[in-house]
Amino acid sequence: MFLHNFIYALKILCKNKVLIFWTFAFPIILGTLFNLAFSNISNSEKLDVIDIAVAGENINSNFKESIDILSNKDNSDKLFNTKYVTLNEAKKLLDDEKIVGYIYNEKIVVKKSGIEQTIFKYVVDEINSKINMSSSIFQAEISKEIENGNYNINYELINKKVNDQLNTKVSLNDTSNKNLDYVMIEFYTLIAMACLYGSLLSMTCLNNIMPNMSNEGKRLSISKTKKVSLILSNLCASYLVQLVGLLILFTYTIFALHVNYGSNLIYIILLSLAGSLAGLSLGVVVSIKFKVGENAKIGILIGIVMFWCFLSGMMGITMKYIVDKNIPILNKINPANMITDGFYSLYYYDTLDRYLLNVISLIVFSLLLLVISILNLRRQKYDSI
Amino acid sequence: MKKVIEVNNLTKEYKGVKAVDDLSFDVNEGEILGLLGPNGSGKSTTINSILSLLNYKSGNIKIFGKKMDTNAYDIKSKIGVVFQDVAVFDELTVYENIDYFCGLYITDKNKRKQYVSDALDLVGLKEFTKFRPKQLSGGLLRRLNIACGIAHKPKLIFLDEPTVAVDPQSRNNILDGIKKLRDNGATIVYTTHYMEEVEILCDRVIIIDKGKIIATGTVDELKNLSNIKEKVTVEVLDLSDKYIEEIMSLKNVDSVIYQNNELFVTYKKGKNNIVEMIDYFKNKRINYSKIFVERPTLNDVFLELTGKELRD
Ligand SMILES: Nc1ncnc2c1ncn2[C@@H]1O[C@H](COP(=O)(O)OP(=O)(O)O)[C@@H](O)[C@H]1O
Ligand SMILES: [Mg+2]
Repeated sequence: MFLHNFIYALKILCKNKVLIFWTFAFPIILGTLFNLAFSNISNSEKLDVIDIAVAGENINSNFKESIDILSNKDNSDKLFNTKYVTLNEAKKLLDDEKIVGYIYNEKIVVKKSGIEQTIFKYVVDEINSKINMSSSIFQAEISKEIENGNYNINYELINKKVNDQLNTKVSLNDTSNKNLDYVMIEFYTLIAMACLYGSLLSMTCLNNIMPNMSNEGKRLSISKTKKVSLILSNLCASYLVQLVGLLILFTYTIFALHVNYGSNLIYIILLSLAGSLAGLSLGVVVSIKFKVGENAKIGILIGIVMFWCFLSGMMGITMKYIVDKNIPILNKINPANMITDGFYSLYYYDTLDRYLLNVISLIVFSLLLLVISILNLRRQKYDSI
Repeated sequence: MKKVIEVNNLTKEYKGVKAVDDLSFDVNEGEILGLLGPNGSGKSTTINSILSLLNYKSGNIKIFGKKMDTNAYDIKSKIGVVFQDVAVFDELTVYENIDYFCGLYITDKNKRKQYVSDALDLVGLKEFTKFRPKQLSGGLLRRLNIACGIAHKPKLIFLDEPTVAVDPQSRNNILDGIKKLRDNGATIVYTTHYMEEVEILCDRVIIIDKGKIIATGTVDELKNLSNIKEKVTVEVLDLSDKYIEEIMSLKNVDSVIYQNNELFVTYKKGKNNIVEMIDYFKNKRINYSKIFVERPTLNDVFLELTGKELRD
C-alpha cells in the first residue's frame, strides 16, 4: 500500500508542470543567468585592482599589515591600490571618484554600492574580524598565564600560540584568490533556494491527500489506507523528487558553471539533506496553516523563499553583509542563510564548527515546523470540509 | 431484511447552525436508497458524517452492523464513494486514475487490471483510457469520477449528485450503470435534487429538507401522500370565465388555473377524470389542441409538504 501510494505520488508530482518548473528548471535558469552576469565581472572587473585610500594617522599595525599584503604589487592576487592620505584628502578623492572608498578608524566609507564596494567591504570586514579574534585569543592567553600565577609572560610564545589557534580555528582567506570567489556565495544561495523550493512539492502532496484541502484527499481518506502511511509515502515521494532536482542542479553548477562546493562530498550531501528537510517542513506548515487555495500557497512559498534567499545574499552579497552586521538574528533563523552559510563555511574554513552549527540549526528548524504541524496531520475528522 | 447502514439521531452543526437535524434512517441490503432534497438540505453533510469525515454533534452510525469510525478499516474496505465534486488527479490519465484508487483496495495486479477494465466498461470510457481529465467533456469527467469510486467493487456505494451538469447521454449511461451495480449485489445510497432520477432509479426514497426527514417510502407510497391524485392539462384558446366556473364544479375537481392559454385542473380523487373532461369540451363544442393527464410528481409532494418547489 505504501509503495502503491509512493509510486503514484511520484507520478503526480513529476507530471505537474508548475512544480517541475519551480523546483527543477528555475534554479538552473537562474544559475545560468548568474553565471552570465559574473563571467562578465570576472573578465573585466575581477582582474581590476580596486583603488582605495587609508585615512588618518593612528592605523592599527596588524590592520595596516593586512592591507599592505593585499596591496603589494608583487602579490599575484593584488586586490587594492592603496594610498595613505589625510581624512580630508580621502574625502576629496572619494568625491572625485578617484577611489572606491577609504578606511578611517578601521571602518570603511563608500559612496555608492556596487561590486567593487562590496568586495572592499567584505575584505575589510574579514580583516577586522581576524584582528578581533587574534586580540581576544591573545588576551585570553595572557589572563590564563596570570591566573596560573605566571607574571613573567613570554609574549613570543603566546604569539605563536595565538597564531596556531588562529590557523586551526579559522583559516581566513588572507591573500589567497579565494578572496574573489565571493560569487560562490550567490551559487550557494541558489542551492538554498532549490532546497527550500522543495516546499512546493511537499505542500502539493499534502494538499492532495488531506480531506479538508482537496476532493482527491477526501477520496483517499475514506479508503482503507492508514493516514500515516498516506502521509509518509507522499512526503517520501516529495523528498525524493526534491533530491533528484538538487542532484541535477549540483551536476549542472559543478560541471557547467564550475562552482566549487569544497571537496568533502559527505558534508555536502549532509547539508543538502538537511536543507531539503527544511524545505519539506516549510511546505508542510504552509500547506496546513494557510487556509487558502493551492495557487495562493505556491505564491506564499515562492515569496517566503525568495525573501529568505534575498536576505542571505542571492541578489547581491551586500545584503548578507548588511544583515549579518546589523540584524544578525535575522540570518540566524533564516534557513536559506543556514544553507548558504553552511556551504560557505565548508568552503572557507578548515574546521567544521560553523558548518555543523548550520546543519544542526536546519534540523532544529525542520523539527520545529513539523512539531507545529503534527496535530493537524493527525486529525482524522474535520468540523467542515 | 438486513440493514447495511443504521443512522440514529444524527445531528451536525456548522458553527452552531444545524445542517443535519436529528436524522434517523436505515439502508437495506441490495436497495438503491434515494436521498432527495433541494440544494443545501444537508445531503452531502449527511453522507460525509456517515463516512466519519466530519465531526458531528451527536448520533450513532453503524455500517455492516459495526460502529463506523475513521479507523474502521474493515468497513472502509467495503465502501465506495462518489463525491459531489469531481475528485481525480489532472496529472494522471483516465486509466491511471482508476488504477490508483482501485489499487488502494485491490493489491493483486491481475485482479486489479480486470477490475479497472470492468469499471471502464461500466461507465463507457474504454476509448478514453489515455486521456487526461482536462481533455474530457463534463459528462465523461463525471463518468470517470464514478469509475474511480466504484472500481474496487464495493458492497456499499455512496453517490452524491453524480449527474449534476451532465449531458442527457451521459446521464442515461450513469443511471444504467448504477442499476447494474445494484443488480450485481451492491447497496447504494444516491443523493440528488432531480426527482425524475429518483423515480426511475430508487427502490426507496427519503425526502429531506433543512436537515430533516420530511417523508420516507417508495416512490408510489410518497405519491400517495399527495392530496392531488391526478392532474389534467388542456391547451385551449380564449376560454371564458363562464366555462372555467363550470369546470370548477365538475366531479372530483379540486382546483383550476387558466393562464397562457393552458388550463391546469387537479383532482383529489378518482381515476380517468380525463374522460369526463374530454366529454365536457365535446358537449360545449370547444376546440382544444392538446389534452393530457399526469400522476402527481415528487415535486408536487414536496410542494405540499414544504410549501416550496424542490428546485428553485
Ligand atoms: N463547510 C461548511 N461550513 C458552513 N456551512 C456549511 C458547510 N457545508 C455546508 N454548509 C451548510 O450546510 C447546509 C447543508 O449543506 P449540504 O450538506 O452541502 O447540502 P446539500 O448537499 O443537500 O446541497 C447548507 O445550508 C450549507 O450552507
Ligand atoms: Mg451536496
